[in-house]
Amino acid sequence: MNPAIETHNLSKSYGNVHAVEGVSLRVERGEIYGFLGLNGAGKTTTIRALLGMIKPGAGWVKLLDEPIGPNGHGPWRQVGHLVERPTAYPELTVRENLEIARRLQGVPDRKATDRAIDRLGLNAYANRKAAGLSTGNRQRLGLARALLHEPELLILDEPASGLDPAGVVEIRKLLEQLTQERGMTVFMSSHILTEVDRLATRIGIIHQGHLLEELEYDKLQVLRARRLEVQTRDLQAAEETLTRAGYAVKTEESALYLSEERALEEPDTVATILVEAGLPPTRLVVTQENLEEYFLRLTGGTA
Amino acid sequence: MNGFIPALWAEALKARRSKVLPLTAAAACILPIVDGVFMFILKDPERAKSMGLINTKAQITAGVADWPTFFQVLLMGTAIAGAILFAFITAWVFGREHSDHTVKELLALPTRRETIVAAKLILIALWALCLTLLIFGLGLVIGTLVDIPGGSTGLIWDSFAMLLGIAVLTLMMMPFVALFASAGRGYLLPLGWAILTLAAAQIAGVLGWAEWFPWAVPGLLVSMNGEPIEPIPAHGLIVVLVAFLIGTLATFVWWRSADQSG
Repeated sequence: MNPAIETHNLSKSYGNVHAVEGVSLRVERGEIYGFLGLNGAGKTTTIRALLGMIKPGAGWVKLLDEPIGPNGHGPWRQVGHLVERPTAYPELTVRENLEIARRLQGVPDRKATDRAIDRLGLNAYANRKAAGLSTGNRQRLGLARALLHEPELLILDEPASGLDPAGVVEIRKLLEQLTQERGMTVFMSSHILTEVDRLATRIGIIHQGHLLEELEYDKLQVLRARRLEVQTRDLQAAEETLTRAGYAVKTEESALYLSEERALEEPDTVATILVEAGLPPTRLVVTQENLEEYFLRLTGGTA
Repeated sequence: MNGFIPALWAEALKARRSKVLPLTAAAACILPIVDGVFMFILKDPERAKSMGLINTKAQITAGVADWPTFFQVLLMGTAIAGAILFAFITAWVFGREHSDHTVKELLALPTRRETIVAAKLILIALWALCLTLLIFGLGLVIGTLVDIPGGSTGLIWDSFAMLLGIAVLTLMMMPFVALFASAGRGYLLPLGWAILTLAAAQIAGVLGWAEWFPWAVPGLLVSMNGEPIEPIPAHGLIVVLVAFLIGTLATFVWWRSADQSG
């Protein structure tokens, strides 16, 4: 089956600023693709190009095997989107905003609006004007609009932005449900890396307009650095002991870290050395860097 | 056009729920009310003398209290104020999508962008024509209440046809306002454009080039100083048509192919 999203050598410049340069993406159907990048890395420009909102300077975009033209043509009946901050007509109610979306999406089923309201937990706000909604409920309204026509492909720019922790979990569960039950493809950018970490089946990292890395979640697990974390009552003495034993030791706050393969493979040897030196470890565990740490290591943590 | 009715429904809902609709209706009412006040003052010479500055203004603007003068002031006012009022509506219909950042919700849809633009233009036309009917209807009521003399059925129909003519010709200049509201991503540029063209139309009229300047052509349907109205020459109508087509086409092209970052 052809991919849900395919871009080839996608580039876009604003004056002398290369917002996106040579980005070639491939998102398979049914995937949850986490698109990561620092502010100004090119995430939103890429998403706008995917949705035909901007004309790429070079390259092309295909969604669901259909080329996206500069004139707004695309398979939009099968695509839902939420770009940047969610917007709504402030003088209209939540229901009216969604009713406009339903009609413009060409959805004949009138109950689709109620379903979207229900799915995003907006029942209590259905007849309230959008102007009075909190940021989180505005985000829910944006997501309701994106899902209203039951799309095959969902393109979301920061879907968890503005939501409280419970809302973040709720949206994660909803996206998981939609991909599992309906095989929906999700392409999402997010700065909440713990959420992407839990949800994404594949990750793309964009930095300064370039796609730095694109990899399966399983492969990402392998690439994330592992290290042995050691805690004892006397860190300084333990560091000296392990250094004398030939280990490269790094001290951070209240723990020592050893990254060498032999320490990771045989932590019991490290424990024995410390016990024999009268410094029994109070904690000895192999940890793996999280997505945030991996991302910062890869990008250097700078925009 | 596929999706046109839903798009028009959406535009109508936005307009119905906005404060701009009653605001423009209130603005449109000012013209016949002021016209009626002038007639009321001028009808009674003794009352007119006691009104001082207002009387002077009424004398300059109208002069005589009769139905032909009443309609003449109404037409003149519509030609000038209508251009601003219609431009305000157009700037709001197109510019609000940018100021509210809702334009991005209109771009990646099964309903084509051209359909949405067409729905917006049709809504503006319907809105402006309703205001024109309001101006005329209220004018008739006020004129009757003031009991001004010199009316006839023929005069009413002729004036109505002239008012509609002015409204339609003014409306045909609105696609440029729509273009500037879209390209300028808000209200400032289109309203600036409307004021600029209105001023330029006055200058063109003074210089005798009105029939060559599309924004001045609607004013040709207004009789000045009671002079009989000459039919608008064919080239006058052609320049209006050409300006309308260029403005409409440019607006469609902009929506179709410009980068949208609102």
